[in-house]
Amino acid sequence: MIPENRSKADANPTKAFFVRMITRDITLEDCIFDLIDNSIDGAWELAGGQPMSLDDNTDLSPYRISINVQNDGFLIQDNCGGITLDDAADYAFTFGRKDTAETENFSIGVYGIGMKRAVFKIGSDITIHSTFIDEGKPSSFCVPIKVDEWLTSKSEDWDFDIEAAPDLPSAGVKIQISNLTEVALRSFESPRFIQNLRRSISRDYALHLHRGLAIEVQGKPVSGWAIELRQGGDFLPMRATFTEQIQDEDVHVELLAGMAAAPPDSSEPSDDFDDALNRSGWYVVCNGRIVLAADKTSVTGWGTEGWPQWHPQYSGFMGLIVFASRRADLLPLTTTKRSVDETSAVYRQFRPKMRDATKEWISYTNARKQVRVEAVKREEFTKSVPIFEIVPRAEVALPRIAPTPKIPEANVLYSVPKARMLKLASALGNINMAYKDVGIQSFEYTYSDLVGEE
Amino acid sequence: MASFDSINYSLRPSKSVQRGLVFDGLRKLSNALDLSNAVYIGFGSIWFTDFVLAHKTLNIDDMVSIEANEIGFKRAQFNKSYRTITMMQGMSQDKLPEVLSMPGYLNRPWIVWLDYDSALNEGVVQDFQWTLNNAPPNSVLLFTFSATQNAYGDKPVQRPERLRSLLGDVVPDDLSKEDCSKENLPSVLAKLAMDYLKSEVADLARPGGLIEAFRVPYFDSVGMVTVGAVLPAVGAVPAARAVVSTGDWKCLVDEVIHAPQLTLREIAALQSELPPVGAITRTRVQELGFDLQDEQIQSFQKYYKYLPSFAEVVV
Repeated sequence: MIPENRSKADANPTKAFFVRMITRDITLEDCIFDLIDNSIDGAWELAGGQPMSLDDNTDLSPYRISINVQNDGFLIQDNCGGITLDDAADYAFTFGRKDTAETENFSIGVYGIGMKRAVFKIGSDITIHSTFIDEGKPSSFCVPIKVDEWLTSKSEDWDFDIEAAPDLPSAGVKIQISNLTEVALRSFESPRFIQNLRRSISRDYALHLHRGLAIEVQGKPVSGWAIELRQGGDFLPMRATFTEQIQDEDVHVELLAGMAAAPPDSSEPSDDFDDALNRSGWYVVCNGRIVLAADKTSVTGWGTEGWPQWHPQYSGFMGLIVFASRRADLLPLTTTKRSVDETSAVYRQFRPKMRDATKEWISYTNARKQVRVEAVKREEFTKSVPIFEIVPRAEVALPRIAPTPKIPEANVLYSVPKARMLKLASALGNINMAYKDVGIQSFEYTYSDLVGEE
Repeated sequence: MASFDSINYSLRPSKSVQRGLVFDGLRKLSNALDLSNAVYIGFGSIWFTDFVLAHKTLNIDDMVSIEANEIGFKRAQFNKSYRTITMMQGMSQDKLPEVLSMPGYLNRPWIVWLDYDSALNEGVVQDFQWTLNNAPPNSVLLFTFSATQNAYGDKPVQRPERLRSLLGDVVPDDLSKEDCSKENLPSVLAKLAMDYLKSEVADLARPGGLIEAFRVPYFDSVGMVTVGAVLPAVGAVPAARAVVSTGDWKCLVDEVIHAPQLTLREIAALQSELPPVGAITRTRVQELGFDLQDEQIQSFQKYYKYLPSFAEVVV
């Protein structure tokens, strides 16, 4: 016989386990992005809550999000409408989305975990302060969270206290965090972390920044990455739109692909920074937010289903797949918003279309090896066009060039001390000149000196 | 040609000011962190000026001097000022790792001052990384390199990319060619090099972190930059921070030090006005019977205690 008081095994999570677990598998940067996402969801709702297609011209210029990190604290503040008292009491602080929660229109947040996870990841002394408009008047509250006290309190309930607070200058949210965690302390001391945070914001919120949203880091506005594809002559990027019905809801999908930069002359890996290579690959956008950038892995299909693995030869290719839906839970979002849910049905449906576009590029770069001179000539006719201005077209168009009779070529390969190479590059007029060009210029120089005219 | 063939290091006034400031700072840090047991590592050249100061003012006995030039190495061996200086011949990138096998050196703080003749380059950055990786707790690191603008690209427009290739992600995307002009480059380089050191230490998760302590841009015949930091033991962080944040910490300099070349007679005339009641003006210098530029007058009154006096002596 099992005694009465032993008939149930306790499976309730401890708070400490829960906090440890939810903050473990997410980077600090992605946590900060979760807070930005919340601000943007507020702004998007206020601005009308349209599906975020590339053609949509919602004006986000009234909205501003500012982030300040210091050695002893973190601050994010916005003017994006704030959290209402009802939402705070019933939903915003719940771990996980309640089934009764209303669906926010075209939001980025979906799992109801972002803000809590983010603040716990950053520090242990937290104040979330909100001012919202209630019947035409500003109304405010704050939620102070002392994580250490909350974790050690004997109380069974997980609630946080809501307190009265003065009004913020405009309706919005202000989150202040001190007593930083080890990871936050270390990252905030690193100028490289701050520079890279700016770069990631510029890229992942490019579509919001394009609509006028202001995001500031350390008081300095971040300018959005201008996403462009090259167009002209035989080069025409694809841009196709689709609408899928899932659970009686529309999911809008837009697919763009083409040449973002000319392919490299050599596919040998180089130890130098290569911007075009870094930008190449697939981008996945969910309700306006880039959740996967420059992907060259199996997540976007490379190396699967008869699709070759990524290779530097394919550098220059860029593809974007843009999903938008009133219900964010229908999109292939993961909880960290740093990848896509590969099991998502809508995402799987579009993978073959992504593959077709990629394959066009792969075969172009293969053919290009035989007709490099002619290809380079045609590539020079293209110019960069912002993705918003690309004309709809069902497929990628790339030139088909017949190989010309081959002149036998000799390849030269030699090594010299790097310092001497840099000195010669500098003497030839550009310290940053590619080694290959230093070689060619040296050859031409010697050739005209010793051999003379052909 | 090695720079010791062209320059007598003891005759550069701004260099003397920089060296005076650095040792003033090191003395204060040494008191707070007890660095008398430290090992001094540097490029003593054939003059060993900083090694003499390290021995006399910081009470450091064990020192390592690295010299790449073959003749320079022989002359350094001949000239080395103390028995306890170990000479190493080669490039710092190759020789620094040998310090690790010197008995007991890993258990003592290091004062490393790598005073390069050259501009920032891949080798210097490699030394940044190596020292940040390997210096024991309570070490102090200093790096001096040239800020000559042409060493970073003949054309200003090439320089941001060159800096990016050297220092990577810490270089802001909007670094402009104006930031890399002759006038701005020394302070920009000092900031970016320090940002690099801070970021590396953050990535390495050194328990005591890094405290920025030295930033001295100066100009003799070319622009030079000295940056430096303390890598305190966890327990020594408050003590080190206290030293660097006091009002009389003089080693974080914003303007470029431009010490004037003065005759003994000019020095005597100016010195009789010092310490000044108010700032010495150009009019006052003219009243004294000669003339100087405003920034030369400012540098003089700020740093006169560190300026050397030179006289030619026929022996």
